[in-house]
Amino acid sequence: MANPIAFRQLMKPLPVISACLVTIAPTFLGASETIDQKQRRFFEERIRPVLVESCYECHSADAEKIGAKLLLDTPGQLRAGGESGSPMVAGQPEKSLLIHALRYEDDLEMPPEKPLPENVVADFAKWIEMGAPDPRPTDPDVPAALAERAYGEGDLWSFEPVEDPPPPEVEETSWPSDLVDYFVLAEQESRGLQPAKDADPRVLVRRLHYDLIGLPPSHPEVDRFVENYGKDGREAVGRLVDELLASPHFGERWGRHWLDVARYAESNGNDGLSRNPTFPHAWRYRDYVIDAFNRDLPYDRFLTEQIAGDLLAADSPEERDRLLVATGFLAVGSKPAKAMNKNFEMDVVADQIDVVATGLLGLSVGCARCHDHKFDPIPTRDYYAMAGLFTSTETMWGLAGNEKLTAPPTDLHVLATKPKVPPPADFVETVILRESSTGKPKKIPKPKWDPGTPLAMGVRDREEPADCKINLNGEAEKPGEAVPRGFLTAVDTGNELEIQVDESGRLQLAAWIASPRHPQTARVMVNRVWQHLFGTGIVATPDDFGVYGARPSHPQLLDHLATRFVEEGWSVKALVREIATSRTYQLDSIAVGESREADPENRWLTRHPRRRLDAESLRDGILKASGQLNPEPADGSLVRHRDILVNLAGDLHRPSRHRSVYLCYLRNSPPPELAAFDLPDFLAVEGRREASNVPGQALYLFNNLFVVEQARHFARSLLDEPETDDEAKIRRAFHRVFQRDPAPRELLRSTELLARTEDAPGSKATAWASFAQALFATNEFRYVD
Amino acid sequence: MSTNLHVPPSRRRVLQTASCGFGYLAFAGLARANLSDRPAALPAKAKRVIFLCMSGGPSHLDTFDYKPQTGKKAHPGSVFKFNRHGESGLRISELMPETAKHADKLCLLNGMHADTGIHAQSFLQLHTGDRLRERPSIGSWINYGLGTENQNLPGFISLNTSRPSTYSSAFLPAVYNGTAIGANGEKMEEATIDNLTGDHLAPTSKRRQLDFVQALNRDHLARRPGDEALESAVQTMELGFRMQTAAPDLLDLSTESAATLERYRVGRQQAVPGTCQQTDFGRQCLLARRFAEAGVRFIEVNHGSWDQHKNHRRDLQANCAATDAPVAALLEDLEQRGLLDETLVVWGGEFGRPGLVPGDGKDETGHNAKGFTFWLAGGGVKGGFVHGATNETGARAVDGKVHFRDLHATVLELMGLPPNDLTFRYAGRDHRLTGPEGGRVVTEVFA
Repeated sequence: MANPIAFRQLMKPLPVISACLVTIAPTFLGASETIDQKQRRFFEERIRPVLVESCYECHSADAEKIGAKLLLDTPGQLRAGGESGSPMVAGQPEKSLLIHALRYEDDLEMPPEKPLPENVVADFAKWIEMGAPDPRPTDPDVPAALAERAYGEGDLWSFEPVEDPPPPEVEETSWPSDLVDYFVLAEQESRGLQPAKDADPRVLVRRLHYDLIGLPPSHPEVDRFVENYGKDGREAVGRLVDELLASPHFGERWGRHWLDVARYAESNGNDGLSRNPTFPHAWRYRDYVIDAFNRDLPYDRFLTEQIAGDLLAADSPEERDRLLVATGFLAVGSKPAKAMNKNFEMDVVADQIDVVATGLLGLSVGCARCHDHKFDPIPTRDYYAMAGLFTSTETMWGLAGNEKLTAPPTDLHVLATKPKVPPPADFVETVILRESSTGKPKKIPKPKWDPGTPLAMGVRDREEPADCKINLNGEAEKPGEAVPRGFLTAVDTGNELEIQVDESGRLQLAAWIASPRHPQTARVMVNRVWQHLFGTGIVATPDDFGVYGARPSHPQLLDHLATRFVEEGWSVKALVREIATSRTYQLDSIAVGESREADPENRWLTRHPRRRLDAESLRDGILKASGQLNPEPADGSLVRHRDILVNLAGDLHRPSRHRSVYLCYLRNSPPPELAAFDLPDFLAVEGRREASNVPGQALYLFNNLFVVEQARHFARSLLDEPETDDEAKIRRAFHRVFQRDPAPRELLRSTELLARTEDAPGSKATAWASFAQALFATNEFRYVD
Repeated sequence: MSTNLHVPPSRRRVLQTASCGFGYLAFAGLARANLSDRPAALPAKAKRVIFLCMSGGPSHLDTFDYKPQTGKKAHPGSVFKFNRHGESGLRISELMPETAKHADKLCLLNGMHADTGIHAQSFLQLHTGDRLRERPSIGSWINYGLGTENQNLPGFISLNTSRPSTYSSAFLPAVYNGTAIGANGEKMEEATIDNLTGDHLAPTSKRRQLDFVQALNRDHLARRPGDEALESAVQTMELGFRMQTAAPDLLDLSTESAATLERYRVGRQQAVPGTCQQTDFGRQCLLARRFAEAGVRFIEVNHGSWDQHKNHRRDLQANCAATDAPVAALLEDLEQRGLLDETLVVWGGEFGRPGLVPGDGKDETGHNAKGFTFWLAGGGVKGGFVHGATNETGARAVDGKVHFRDLHATVLELMGLPPNDLTFRYAGRDHRLTGPEGGRVVTEVFA
């Protein structure tokens, strides 16, 4: 990777988190030196746990609201007291307010929920009698709740360094075909579970096609694979996987997965005042992502380009354009209205921090904007250290629908090598913007670029980068001290990443994240890949690797994959290949033995999960079956010449024969052909879509114009087939939808349906269209085994 | 399914007792029976629920929980004026003048408390009893227990929804999943059920088409025995099919008089700066009434966000202004149609907020899960009644405490379902809405 950062290679890996985050054992000196061992133990065993459990919630620097201005984080604070004065008179518990409050003697009753047990209150009295020996650090910069938060074992698992565990021993040594399989089988064996049979090649080929390229195989492709599988077994699988990985459709499928993470959309979404400006140039980022997956851009490079592409060296103007477009990652987020919003700039930054932290690291950092994170080890200072990187960065979203109250217009990247595409000669903008006060049409300023100039959203460094001041309570108008630009202090990757005064620091951010030693980066990505192949990740919450996220079902497997991913040059294709060629991936979806009962959620991967097609795959599958799919990438976007407010525009969507990834993903106005199938709202990172089953989906299959139209095309092409007899046509239809022959009973039913569709008597086309539509609505078509 | 069972049997038990096994249940008419109206196990006081979900954490101290200043030193309390209303003399904030006219119908639960001040978690717990995992929503549980009154409509409709996990049937059969109309952030005035109608085929041909699809699905399922997701998809397809006949008329408000539309303030909500979103709450409430009349079992309407951190007074006023008249119109209509007695109306959000100190110039609040307010109306509860209380600053519930699981238990009991025995076996154990702890039925509020 060409970047100017000097890495200080360490001979031995640093522990990634310091021990103070997870243990209670004090190692503090200073003021506490005079405290003897016995007193120290008394405090640690009897007093501190109570403070942590019962008091910090309201009386710590990271409490949401500090009760009575009383902080108990440090010895000094505890002695000084809050609104009610000093809570303690050393050596005299009977005169100490604290004891009165704990005993519920006066007005002040603490803790408010219910009094502490008597023996605990007695401990506090005894402690005050001793002179309240308090061995905690005096540094108020370390909020006690952070340093002494009672993390349970394994809570901070994702902050531990990635290990390279040896594959575990298994009894059925002949079963595994890839290292992955050892980790899976060992867990099953330890629970007395049994894996399913290997999937039938017909099942496998369809699964692989949908998973790898998002399209079903054709009937001849299925037959060819079945033949090869019969001859060569697993080797045939490897060859098919390689073929699919080499297909340009791979990038369309996997790029789409990434676009969910990148909360990509082509409009801002409701700004809070119902205004929803288009992003006419966002599609360039979409194309960049698809291309990146197709060329198997190493993942560390991929995320570096998205965070800091504008700062990377390029050896050609084309490469320069590509790198500028990559930074669209940081610009395509949804913004709240600028009107009356003094925090607007920091809201933009918040979105950028969120997409980076949640999307790349599986950590939600957003809470720390206003207060130290309640659960994860992310203090507010860290948030503003990262914020400084982005406040030192200019974000370029463009004209934002020429509605300044939503977001003030910005510059855009002008691309040097892309063709100029002016709007068609007859293009007239039909959406008129009006003054809110007078209702008169607003005058739209002439843009600084000639019509059709190739532009891209993105970022660049500000002329004068600067550290960001803490916004007290998240308020830009209440600045606290400035925090030097940096990253999360809970993760030390061992690299020296110095940020110079004249740079934003995004390059260093990228280097910190893309470090092989970053404990989350590789884990988060391999988990995403795993999830797309198995429906559920090894960590079931792909965007939350924090304390409140799910724990990995197979922690060692996760680390094994992460290690392998990094060792093989962060190649997503290699990773997909490894998993797809494992025996685990190739299991049948029908459980055997007790495993359905014993493993109802399939946590131990005893079978392959049957999955409903996602929105894009369903539409693309229908287009392929109907014969209407245009497999070429679509050029640009429906809104490429339109800087308008979507909410004023009526329905902007138009029918298309291209793959779904090229449809116009407007926030709050999703493509109607996809909306019924759990499309995310693209307001934030969404690493895992829901897979609901609601009557609205049935209605879509019954009545949606797209489905009806495709059924008609399908019917027409069947009727146009040279075969004259209906049975041959039915057979052909089954081939195209299910890639198999119809069973005799199915043939009979099909004939019956065709005969008894009573619309417009004699209208063969209607009957065949009804038949074709019915095939699209079947579970066999909509689910993948 | 025999009707003398006191508790709806778990799915698995049905499967075990139905001699013909799985296929019989799914296809020999029992799939419908699954949805069909079944008698409540207990004497039911209510037949349906309308949940007015106020997301974001409404400020209890400035709406329904009056906290005057006591003592010499100013302390957190109500900063808006409260008056007594109705014969009961219930104290209600000046921000709810229309709702206040129905004071004698309201049963205030002023001792609500919850586990966490985190929006997403508490919101999920309010809906499902669980803060972290996807679990069946209360509307799904009720439909699982009672079936639906109207076979042509979903038994659970959620208007202006946020996340699907709040109206999910989770491990319950998907046929009990909520149907969403309009999503948070989209234009509620245009919200509808998409793709409801199509004239590309005659109705009889559509029916034949569906029968063909289901026949293929049946064979497909037979080759994949025991897959409940596939079976659910079959049932969902049937329900979707039947919705085509029933739902379009219900969604069409053009038959309502101008006076009614005005009372509900349909389409009247103004865009204002701040947290208050345009949710066309009047339209939602009017649709809720129509769904209630049509026999939908659980109807949720949503308004938000009540999460007014920075401009507490301004944003709270906007939220109250957007919801007050529609709620009043709903209560009025339900009463006038004789539906209120059998319809339980529930109002509340995921938690409350700390009070402001009058006169100290501050206008910023946070979250408070330790004490807040819900109210109930109709459906067998006392009107003009206050149950529970917070302490003098409103910071925590001290009397008549009601946790979400207690609220859930109370709602189920009013619907005639035994709260702690309405279970479903999944992943090796029996699950229930009220969770491992179980919920306490707040019988004090029963009329």
